[in-house]
Amino acid sequence: MIKFLIKGILRDRSRSLLPIIIISLGVFLTVFLTGYLNGIMNDLKEQTAKFDTGHVKVVTKAYLKEINQIPIDLSIIDAESIGNTLNQKYPDYQWVNRIKFGGIVDVPDAVGNSKGQGPAAGFAIDMFDKNQGEIERFNLQNALISGKIPEKSGQVLIGNDFAEKLKLKPGDEITIMGSTMYGSLMLYPFKISGTVKFGMKQLDQGAIIIDLSDAQKMLDMENTVSEILGFSKSGKYDNEDAEMMSDNFNRNYSPKNDEFAPAMVPLKQQNNMSEMIDYSENIAAVFIFIFVMAMSVVLWNTGLLGGIRRYKEIGIRLSLGESKPVIYKNMILEAAIIGVIGSVIGSILGISLAYYLQTVGIDISGMMKNSSLFFSPRVRAEVSPPLFYIGFIPGVVAMVTGTMLSGIGIFKRQTSQLFKELEV
Amino acid sequence: MENIVTLKNVSKKFKVGDGDFWALKNINLELSKGEFAGLVGPSGSGKTTLLNIIGSLDVPTDGEAIVLGKNISGLSHKESADLRNHYLGFIFQVYNLLPVYTVFENVEFALLLQKIPETERKTRVMEALEWVGLAHLAHTKPSKLSGGEGQRVAIARAMVKRPEILLADEPTANLDAENAHHILKIMEKLNQELKTTFLFSTHDEKVMQYLKRTVRLRDGKIESDHFENNQKL
Repeated sequence: MIKFLIKGILRDRSRSLLPIIIISLGVFLTVFLTGYLNGIMNDLKEQTAKFDTGHVKVVTKAYLKEINQIPIDLSIIDAESIGNTLNQKYPDYQWVNRIKFGGIVDVPDAVGNSKGQGPAAGFAIDMFDKNQGEIERFNLQNALISGKIPEKSGQVLIGNDFAEKLKLKPGDEITIMGSTMYGSLMLYPFKISGTVKFGMKQLDQGAIIIDLSDAQKMLDMENTVSEILGFSKSGKYDNEDAEMMSDNFNRNYSPKNDEFAPAMVPLKQQNNMSEMIDYSENIAAVFIFIFVMAMSVVLWNTGLLGGIRRYKEIGIRLSLGESKPVIYKNMILEAAIIGVIGSVIGSILGISLAYYLQTVGIDISGMMKNSSLFFSPRVRAEVSPPLFYIGFIPGVVAMVTGTMLSGIGIFKRQTSQLFKELEV
Repeated sequence: MENIVTLKNVSKKFKVGDGDFWALKNINLELSKGEFAGLVGPSGSGKTTLLNIIGSLDVPTDGEAIVLGKNISGLSHKESADLRNHYLGFIFQVYNLLPVYTVFENVEFALLLQKIPETERKTRVMEALEWVGLAHLAHTKPSKLSGGEGQRVAIARAMVKRPEILLADEPTANLDAENAHHILKIMEKLNQELKTTFLFSTHDEKVMQYLKRTVRLRDGKIESDHFENNQKL
């Protein structure tokens, strides 16, 4: 019987082609938009992780309380020992040391007087140990506009817009002014090795990037770092894993009454990321729900039209002895077949476009000029395993629901009217 | 011959506006296996209503309709459908073939409902198409058929499951004289060879010529019940 039904579906284009086109389009949109949103959300998460939060971050409890102030005086003072513990106990993560600091960039003239100044957000990362992967994490090679990446102590990278504002170029000297970890005045000379542009306003207009060892000397932070960031070696943030590891670390290495003890915080609990991540996780469900509702109404209508068009056929089938529940069941089966075909086509189209956007991406750097979000200038979709089945939920459910609603009319049909109805 | 239809005091009432309309009034009728009978009468005489009740498409308001040993009033929807599926065949005024399927598939559909295996289906469909002389058009779509050919396919579809009773409502109404005679001869032949009971609802003189029994209805009552040569089967 299924073979017979499929033959009918394939031959009757108005019964198959229109619903398949509608389903394919809907599923295509669902799959593609889910992949696109996943890509954006994951990109936002990963960019934030790379530049700021890590997949997990270890800081002192006191630092954590005032983390927005970047209080380097509350940094981790036995960084090596804690780093060793982290590497030993949690080998699935790569642990990197960082110092974030604030200061003033002063540009001296030929005789040593200041010819320009600007406030700077400083990042100290390990640029000389290639195994740490920090150059790749900050995407420095691609972000480099002029000059080169620092190769030795005393060199600095500066945001391209910042450099233009202060009329700086590679080879120029600057002085970073600020206070050390212990509050004393600090003036430290650097030579600009290159300028970088990330496509993010807050970095391009005020960032300076130096090597961690320089920052430790400059800020009087020997064996001290402000943050230790952990990055999952899988390359993806797994909230459950990160939360489990953080609980474990805090239980074992973070005494409750020691406010300078290190504490581990997963990405989701930093920078108000929780809502955003929950949103990103629920967005597909919301899409599917809306799509199922909208498509059900459309397909209900399509089903009603089909029911009117197939009125005679159903009458013949009733007279031949096919019972109403069986006709209803077969119509639902037909709908499921159409739903599956439409879902396969829509999924293939949606995944293909998502894959294309995953590979190529869309350049939105123009839109990001004034953005202060940690957002990649090239938006990419993400093809993940759920994309391979997510379209089937709305595709099949909508078609079946639409048919179920419209098919109820079969049960209202009076068999006693068949001779009259089939006369014309 | 055994009775396959027994109607005892069958009446059928319809609501019309605020009042009731009695389409059938105290009908008593028996049909034996192998009869070639017709319900004859003017429009509104109750022919189609009676055909509906015998075909298990409707139930009487009063009285008892026993078809193939089953009391129609007591059947569930499923049992009614089963009765139609296995024992009753219908031919309509218009041949009502499913347009997306071929002639073969239209005839095959009746057997699919009975879950008959493919090989047997094929044999029986071709046999049914040979009865009506259309085996050569098995793979043709209904849109390519003439009216007479379409009605012959409808006969094949009704007969392929070898029903006990075949109910035909004005089967020749849309056919020219030549095609009508051709169709009626086929049905007469099938009646004789397969012993299928045929019951027509008609006011077509061409059909009446072939009937072995004529039940005349007027205003919901049997006016006369005439057997050819006064011989009841």
